[in-house]
Amino acid sequence: MIGLRQYLEQNSETKMIIFAGKGGLGKTTCSAALAYHLAVNEGKRCLCFSTDPQASLSDIFERDIFGKGEIEVAPNLYVVEIDADKRIREYIEDVKRKIREMYKMEEIPPEIESYIETSAVEPAMYESATYDAMAEYLAEGKYDYYIFDMPPFGHGVRMIAMAEILSMWVDRITDARKKAKEYDEIAATLRGQRVLSEDKVLEELYDIQRKLGFFKDVMLDRRKTAFFMVMTPEKMSILDTERALDMFKELGLTLSGIVVNQVLPSRLANNPSKLLAHRVEMQQRYLDEIRRKFGGKVVSVIPMFDREPKGLSMLGEVAKYLVNPPTAV
Amino acid sequence: MSEKRSGVFGKLKDAVKQVTYGMALHSQVTGVLKTRMYIEHLFTLMILGDMLGLPILPPYYSLRLLPYTIPSIKSWKHRFYRERDFTDIIYG
Repeated sequence: MIGLRQYLEQNSETKMIIFAGKGGLGKTTCSAALAYHLAVNEGKRCLCFSTDPQASLSDIFERDIFGKGEIEVAPNLYVVEIDADKRIREYIEDVKRKIREMYKMEEIPPEIESYIETSAVEPAMYESATYDAMAEYLAEGKYDYYIFDMPPFGHGVRMIAMAEILSMWVDRITDARKKAKEYDEIAATLRGQRVLSEDKVLEELYDIQRKLGFFKDVMLDRRKTAFFMVMTPEKMSILDTERALDMFKELGLTLSGIVVNQVLPSRLANNPSKLLAHRVEMQQRYLDEIRRKFGGKVVSVIPMFDREPKGLSMLGEVAKYLVNPPTAV
Repeated sequence: MSEKRSGVFGKLKDAVKQVTYGMALHSQVTGVLKTRMYIEHLFTLMILGDMLGLPILPPYYSLRLLPYTIPSIKSWKHRFYRERDFTDIIYG
């Protein structure tokens, strides 16, 4: 087990770290703990970003940060918990305001208004808004590390696949728009005129293209982005990780490592409580299976704590195991 | 066309220029603008296809472009829904 400190030393170009996996296994805990370690112990400027609608970073950092933008919770440690619904509402209002201003309208035509309203409630809007926020933060480039706490696995992987598809779509429509501009120029030249106004649509498209392109390039670059799976020593988690590895392969991604979380200390195997002893024995059996199946990939093993890993001092405790794991738990 | 000139000679020059343009280039410009319109409609279809019931990608970025396409939406829909017959082969 090399631990995340050694991983980051060996992969010094890493900018973005993503924790993926099933719900409730500790993705948020790992994201928060790593961000805490990099910011507080190593003095790196870190942004910990959650795409989870359930405000889990607010709980873990014990601060209400949901939908409030970048909040500094400790020196160099910034946390963002996106309120996608609020972002969509603001975005929609912005589109409507633009239409009213551009065409000097009091009211937006009902047909356009209803199109905007139906688009706003599409489920994909939520993902897109979150995705756009991630891309925006990354494109700004203000931080040394971006740590993303992804929603449960399938959803998270779809986001990665979306990076490519959206980028391709924007490239296509940009091409169509460029073609239209060419024709404008030809017509203007034949009439002995010049094209005076810049194409605003093309400007918007270039802006989207720049943002998405940068995000996609970073996300698919294994030197810049690290994906870690969080799992527990349980059968379902092992099966899920196997499936995830297949999905990674399909998407052409490389899994950087696996973090095994909520491991009960092996010394509890002799505990008089049968429940506890059985639980430890079960976990040890699955840990063997994990070593057999994903051996080289396991970077850290985090024990089960006697308290919930909440608050900065507990995150510091988790980080010790995450970045610099002892050989045995 | 470019700005008008003053004086008899200037006006004559403009008239000759316009006649030449009308004879030699006007049909070409019309053709180019027609193609430009097709591309504009194709572009609108690519971003607002679901307005006509054709599913497209998540509308997030389409909405950002929507304000600019408003003037052409009416003609785009009109052209899309228009009944087509054999004369389309001749007139496009």
